[in-house]
This record gives sequence, structure tokens and C-alpha cells, in this order.
Amino acid sequence: MLLLLPGVALLAGVVLYPLIAALVTAFFEQSLVLPGRTFVGLQNIVEVLQGDFLRLLRQTLVFTLGTTILPFVVGFALALALNTKIRGAKVLRGLMLIPWLVPGVVVSFLWMWIFNANYGVMNALLQTLGLVDDPQAWLAQPGTAMGAVILAKTWQSFPWMMVMLLAGLQTVPVELHEAAEMDGAGTVRRFFAITMPHLKGIVGLVLLLEFIWNFQHFDIIYVLTGGGPAGATQTFATAVYETAFQGYDLGKAGALGLLWMVLLMALVVVYVRFSEKGEER
Amino acid sequence: MSTTPLMPSAVSRRRMLQLLGIGAGTAALAACAPSAPGSSTGAASAAATGGAKTDFAFSSWSFTEEAAAPALEAIVKAYQDQAGVTVKDISFPYNEYINQLTLQVKGGQFTGAAHVDVAWLGSLAAMGKLQDLSALTEGRGYTDAALAAAQFDGVQYGLPWTIGAIGLIGNSDLLEKVGVAGDAFPTTIDEFEKTLKDLKGLGGGLIPYAASTKAAQLKDALIWMETFGSPLVDGDTVTIGDDASVEAVTWYKSLYDQKLIAADVDRFDARSLFAQGRAAVYDDAPVGRGAVTEESPDKDLGSKLVPVSRPVLKAGDSPRALVWGGALAVVDGEGAETAADFAQFATSDLDTVLADYEVRGLPPVTTEAQQSEVVASDTFGTQFNERITATSTSNPFWAFTAYSQIETVVAEQVQAVLVGKTDAKTAMQKAGEAAQKLVG
Amino acid sequence: MSATTQLPATPTPPSASSPAGGDAPRPPQRLRRGALRSERPGVRIAAWATVVVCGGFGLLPVYWLLATSLTPRDQVFSYPPKFFPSAPTLDAFAALASNEQLFGYLRNSVIVSVLTAVLSVLVSAYMGYSFSKFRYRGRRSLMYLVLASQMFPQALLLVTLYSVFSAYNLLNTYTALVLSFTTFTLPLCVWMLKGFFDTIPDELIEAARVDGASRLRIIHSIVLPLAAPGLIAAGLFAFVRGWNDFVFALTLAGPEKQTLPPGLVNTFIGEASTAWPELMAASLVVSLPVAIAFIALQKYLVGGLTAGAVKG
Repeated sequence: MLLLLPGVALLAGVVLYPLIAALVTAFFEQSLVLPGRTFVGLQNIVEVLQGDFLRLLRQTLVFTLGTTILPFVVGFALALALNTKIRGAKVLRGLMLIPWLVPGVVVSFLWMWIFNANYGVMNALLQTLGLVDDPQAWLAQPGTAMGAVILAKTWQSFPWMMVMLLAGLQTVPVELHEAAEMDGAGTVRRFFAITMPHLKGIVGLVLLLEFIWNFQHFDIIYVLTGGGPAGATQTFATAVYETAFQGYDLGKAGALGLLWMVLLMALVVVYVRFSEKGEER
Repeated sequence: MSTTPLMPSAVSRRRMLQLLGIGAGTAALAACAPSAPGSSTGAASAAATGGAKTDFAFSSWSFTEEAAAPALEAIVKAYQDQAGVTVKDISFPYNEYINQLTLQVKGGQFTGAAHVDVAWLGSLAAMGKLQDLSALTEGRGYTDAALAAAQFDGVQYGLPWTIGAIGLIGNSDLLEKVGVAGDAFPTTIDEFEKTLKDLKGLGGGLIPYAASTKAAQLKDALIWMETFGSPLVDGDTVTIGDDASVEAVTWYKSLYDQKLIAADVDRFDARSLFAQGRAAVYDDAPVGRGAVTEESPDKDLGSKLVPVSRPVLKAGDSPRALVWGGALAVVDGEGAETAADFAQFATSDLDTVLADYEVRGLPPVTTEAQQSEVVASDTFGTQFNERITATSTSNPFWAFTAYSQIETVVAEQVQAVLVGKTDAKTAMQKAGEAAQKLVG
Repeated sequence: MSATTQLPATPTPPSASSPAGGDAPRPPQRLRRGALRSERPGVRIAAWATVVVCGGFGLLPVYWLLATSLTPRDQVFSYPPKFFPSAPTLDAFAALASNEQLFGYLRNSVIVSVLTAVLSVLVSAYMGYSFSKFRYRGRRSLMYLVLASQMFPQALLLVTLYSVFSAYNLLNTYTALVLSFTTFTLPLCVWMLKGFFDTIPDELIEAARVDGASRLRIIHSIVLPLAAPGLIAAGLFAFVRGWNDFVFALTLAGPEKQTLPPGLVNTFIGEASTAWPELMAASLVVSLPVAIAFIALQKYLVGGLTAGAVKG
């Protein structure tokens, strides 16, 4: 049991206590910079709910789903393509990892630079190809900002998906494919009948982990758009941070967090179910 | 270091508070300090600070700026040599600066001299850790206007350092192409808009006016609201949401829609665009001169910069400009005493100030420096003074501690209008309500 | 899932995706896995199309990162940008070499990341071992709690952590960063290591116990060496977490102790203008150590991450 002590102590000190303390502030009016606090009951929570809570929820979900599904599609496609015997597959596998190894802040800088409205290479490229007439302010229009952020995050996380799925693909027995091929099963049929069942575990895992991580992702949004324009890319994570550290309003940040946690509880149930299933097998 | 207990009874309350502040901050040091250097009531600096010099920290955003950093490093070096102490440089970029400094001051990790935007004095003072520096201002020749700019709630929380304003800066080359001579810049908003359209007509992707459109500097819109006649705040009542503010934002939005101003621009982008000759007019403080000339491929850009008065609503109105400037504040704690001495040195020692001017070109704050040959013979500087700084006023929101949050909520609403999420009237009403809440 | 139960202790075929380790010997396997020997032409074309489209998406930004870092400062803001720098220069890299502040951030990053890796491996090895080899009441609940803790919003934790560390005078210290990063890497590291420990036969441990070895002795001299690939994987993961983190380093560490990610923001996003070539050059330099560490050790990381899932 002593083996658990350091880990449990860390979790208690760095996660549990701060979590509970932060949730408690939801019921107080408290400033980051001024001392003292007053109990205000549900006022903060009501204010948050009356404010743009639903918009935040929607945007958080759009971001989370987008940054989970898109990298999965790109990563899976690449994994399948690189699992064939095309020339240079090995070198490509290595090169494709680069985006994943780049720190989140750098990813943001790079895409900020690419998307820049006035001297970005994205506009130049699209104009050269004749796809847009005028340079677009990708990060400064509510219609495109979220898409741009999702694209940047996708760029960062697809290699991870690719690596995991490739590892999974490598465990699919070739004999099964060969036997099925002899029986006349086409590529698509074999993919669904043989490959997919083998990958089920790993697909579930990467999707779940990505979802959890993206739900609270902060870095790329914060550096790329700061939640803007006009709050169009704000998610729970950036909203909590801004409320606390730029608005100095700890009570409201706590209230946002509390509501966020309630939503998470639902996810925890799913998560635990999933882990339980894995455990039983 | 035994000034505190021997306080003469006639001393003013403010002075006493100030001394107590210093006393508290240096109590620990006093214990181990060598014998006090006698009564040195002569120089104002020594009188106020006394005691042995100690090492301290000095934070400034300018350390992160290629054009400005050498000036600061020179000042620090000069002071280190003179006082025999080590000054620790600390820097955060301007956009992160006030948040980071607040966190550092709040957590007690930062004490010493801090370069601050005069706009921030209120929110920093609210934490109760800034010293009152009024005793250090006596006999140093600071102008009254400069002193006033570095006060909050009547208390001298900062020593003024470089007090100027934010105004419009034009590229005379480009302006002449549309027939606008440097000193014949449009005086009314209608003429201004026409000039912008002419500039747009030059083609080549030229951005007529690189106004701020990113949230970080959308506070620039406030000055246009004032130009349209909104007082912004009247006593304790926020007036944003009045007709003038709505008209101003509607006009700003129309410039945006006509692409006379560009999307996704903050002060840095504006400077880059201007430096490249891709923007004809933009908003900046005198500090921008160094930044744009340094970066420009056009080595001659310096001579093409013209500060111009902001156009007004009706001919005859006084042009609006926002006071903008740097001050040095002193955060109580370790090294604060020497930091205060340093602040006085950096802002009012004539040689230091003039050497600084050569590099940064920022308006000095002492009469002596302002009248010096170096400063008086600088055309850009004097024009900037006459056309912009002369009629500048401070942002009325600075009087409130939640000033930066107020600016943020207003900027967000202006941005919402620009990107077409909401109309000017609704947005300004919302901004006004949110700002009112923060004013209290 | 009977086919997958025959995996060797190192769970992933090393050739999986290693550019450097492609020629590593494959462990003996009863079934051949992976790619078919021959493909239909349609599949080949589809594969190539995918590689071109997705590969372009992956690599063009990398190219642009490199190209910008080689562009002279006064050309970087021209529009349209030059897709191929006409006068490439190493000025930006030279400017980095003389930037002392940046070296400070680099040092902080190395210290924090290494300490995080070491501490994470130790703490999560103990925890993972306990979860794997002992049965006691509350074990399951605790395991779920550990796993679930990575879902708790870190931005929210930061709010209180800031005050807690402030109260204990730990702001602006390596301790604050290392403690937080370690905790956040625990769920995944514990989970990875538990997967590894599960593959170590109980008989081995039993035998050692019969020989009179103490519990700690068993862990340190028998179990940990056997799980070395897992330890490397966990350590690498923790290192990367420390290396890449932005918001904690930004908030909990002051200028003295800040790591590279916030350091880059503070150095290059100045008031005057953004120094894109320098920023891009610095970004390249920052990414290098991780890239090298990763390419050298990646087969372990992939193995560790997939251990649980592939095991099924």
C-alpha cells in the first residue's frame, strides 16, 4: 500500500484539493488580486447560465468533435496507405511524425503565420490557385476561425492517431486477408470484415483519449485566437482561464468550472464503462 | 535607517504613509544595513530613500523589443555603475505584461521598479503594493502634465517617464500620391474617409488605414467614440451605448466593410504593414517610429513619417488624442528603496533622458529635457507634440481599477460589430451595461 | 480476440513506424501481420492519393516553418510571400545563438522535463505495480479515479494551484512545475506501466519472494528491469508533457523559471512587431530535442501506449 502513497498524495494535492477548492469558489464573489470573499449563493452560476454558457458548450463540442474526428480520418487514411507496400512508406512514416513533435505553442505560431490575413501564405496559395479572390482573415472571421483552429489542432494530432493505428494494423494477421481474398472478398469487404474488428480496441482508445484531451485543450486556441474573434473560438478551457486570470473573477471562473464538471460527470460514466469493459476482457 | 520612529510631527499624512511604506518594505534590510549615511536632506532622492543601496529588479516590456532594448540596457548600466548595485532585468511582452506583472506582484515574487503604462496604475494600485512617490518628484523639473498622467486617485503612484499620446501617423509619400500634403491632412471625418477611398484607389493591396481590428488593441475605437462626441463615462455612469458611440462604431464598421481598414490587425501588424509601405495611415504612439523604421526595407521611411491630427466630426472641433505614456512605479518589498531612486534617475537625470531620447525618441517629461536642443530639433517629435499630444486627454476609464476589464468588454463588442455578429446599437448597449457593472 | 493474445512482452512490432529502426529484428511470431504482399492497382492508386493529400497537409506547414526561418527580416512581410526564399539567410539562427535569455529558457525546459520524467516514472511505477500485482479493497475505485483525473479541467485546477503554490512560496520554482506535470502524466503512465507489469508472470515474483527478497527489492531489481521498455515509454511521455506545456509554465513560473513555450511567446511576440524568422528558427530548435528523443525511442512509446489496447 505504501507504493500508492506518492501517487495518491500528488493526485490529492495537485488535482483533488484544487478541484474542490475551485468549485467551492463558485458560490463566492472573489477576486484574484484583492483579498477576502463574500458568499453569494448561486448568483455566479445563474449569471454564467444566463450568459453565454450554451454558446460555450456548443463551441467546446464543435472543437472537441472536430479535433477528434478530423485527425482520426487523416491519421487512419495515412495509416492504411502507409501500411501498403508503396515505395518510401518508411521514410514517410518518419516525416509524418514531425507535426506531433512540435510543441503546441509552436504549432499555434506556425498556423497564425500561415493564416495571417495580410501576409499569410494560405491566402497567397489560394489566390494563386484561384480559389479565393481577396485575402481572407481566416482567424478573424467568426465563420472561419473555429475551422482554422480545428485545422491547426488536427495538424498537430493526426500523427499520433496514425502511429497508434499503424501499430494496430500491423497486428492484423496477413493469412486472414489472404484466405479471404482467395474466397473472393474485395478490398472494402476485407477491410470491414477483418481489419476493423481487429482495430476496434485501438480505435476506441484513440478516439476516447483524444476526446478527453481535446475537451480541455487550451494552448492552441489561446495562442492562435485567444478565444476570439468576438468569442467565436472560446471553449470552457479558455473561458475559465480568461475569467480567472484576465478578468480576476474567481467566483465566475469557479461557476463555469462547476458546470463544466457536471457535464464531465456524464463523460466519466462513459469512460468508466469503457475501462470496465477493457478490464473484464 | 531610523527615519521612521523619528518622524517630525508636522509631516504631511501622505508623506508619512509614503515613509511607512518604505519603512515596512525595508524593515528586514534595515536590520543588517551598515550605518546610516548620515542625514542627507540635500538631494531629494537621498532624503526620500536614504540607506545603503541594494540590488533590485526592474521589469519592462521594452526589454523584449529590439529597437528599445539598447536604451534601457544603457540606463540600467549607467545606474549600476553609479550606485554599485546589480539590477535584475525582467521582461514580459506588452500584450501579456499587465497580467503577468499582476500575477507576480500578487504572489509577492516581484518587488522593485516596474515600467508601466499609465493606464495600468489604477489596477496595480488596487493591490496596495505600489509606493507613493510624490516625495521623489520635488525639484526634479517634471512638468505638471506629466506628473498628472502618472497619478491615480490623486496619488503619485508612478514617476512619469515618457508621456505622449496615441495619434495618427501617415506616410507622406503615399498621401502625396492622392494629393494630400503632409500638413494638409483632412480635418473632418468625411474628408478623411474620402482620402482613404482615394488611397484605396491606388490599388496594389494598399490598406488605407491600418486601424486596430484585433481585440487586443480595439480600445483604439474608444478615441473615435470620443471624436463622435461620446464622453464614455460621466461621473460614475458609463455612457457607451449613447448615440455618439453607436455612430462611431457604425462608421468604423463601414470603413471595415469598404476595406478601408483591414481585418486581423493589431498594433504590431499595423506597424509591419506600415513599414512595408502597405498601409498609409495607422494609430501609434511616438514609440512606433523606432519600430517601423527599424523593420522597413525602405531606409528612408523615417523622413516620410508624419504625425497628423485626428479628424474631427465638425470643422472647428478640437482633435482628440489619447494620452499614452510610460511611468515607473515602485512595488514595495525587497530592493524597493533603491528601485525608487533608480526610477527617479531614469526619468529625470538629464544626460540619461537625452541619451534615451536618441534611441527611443519618446517624449521626455522634464522641462529641461523638453527644451533641450536634441528634443527641440526633432521634427517628428515636435510635430507629434503640436498636432497630437497638445490636445490629448486621458481615457476616463483609467480612473477605475477594473479599467482593463472594461476595455476588454468594450473591445469584444466592437469586434462583434466588425465581424457582423451583431449590430452597433445592441453591441454598444451591451458594452455599456457590462462596463457599468465593472465601474460599480 | 485469440490472435492477439500471442503478443510478445514488447507489444508492438518494432518496424511499426520507425524511420531509424526499420531494420530492427522482428520478434518471432506465429502469424505474419501487417501489409499484404501484393495489392491491387486500385489500392495502390488510392494509397498514393492519400499520401499526397494527407502528406501535403502534414508537410507543407513544416516546409513553411523552415522557409520562413531562412527568410531575411525585411522580406518576411512582403505579400504575396515567396514560396521559395530568394535570398536564404541564416541570420535568424545566428540571432538565436546570441540570445542569452533563450538559453535560460532552454535550461529550465531541460531541467523541468527531465525531473518530470524521472519523478513520473518512479511514482507511476509504484502505483502501476500496486494496481497490477496486489488485490485490495478500493483498488478498482482508485484506479478509476486515477484514470478519470485526466479529465478534470486543468485550466480550472490552475486557478487554485496558483493560490496554493503562492501560499507555500512555490511560485516561480521548478518544484511547482515538476509537481504539476508529474501529476498530470500519472494517469497515462500508470496505465501504461500497469499494462507492462501485467505481462510479468506472478511466478517470477513468487520465486523471488521464496528466495527471501524484500518487496522493494523485488520491485527494484526484478520487476523494473523487466519493464524497462515501459519505463522508457512512460518517461518519454512525461518528458514531452513537460517540454510542451504552455499554460502552467506561463502562470506558475516567473521569468526566471519559465520554460521554452512561454519563453518563446515572451521573447518574440514583442510590442514592436513579431520577429517571424527568429520565432520560426527558435521553433525549429525547440522541436529538435523532442524529435531526436522520440525518433530514438519511439518504438517504446508506441508499444507502451498500445499495450493495453492491443492486449484487448
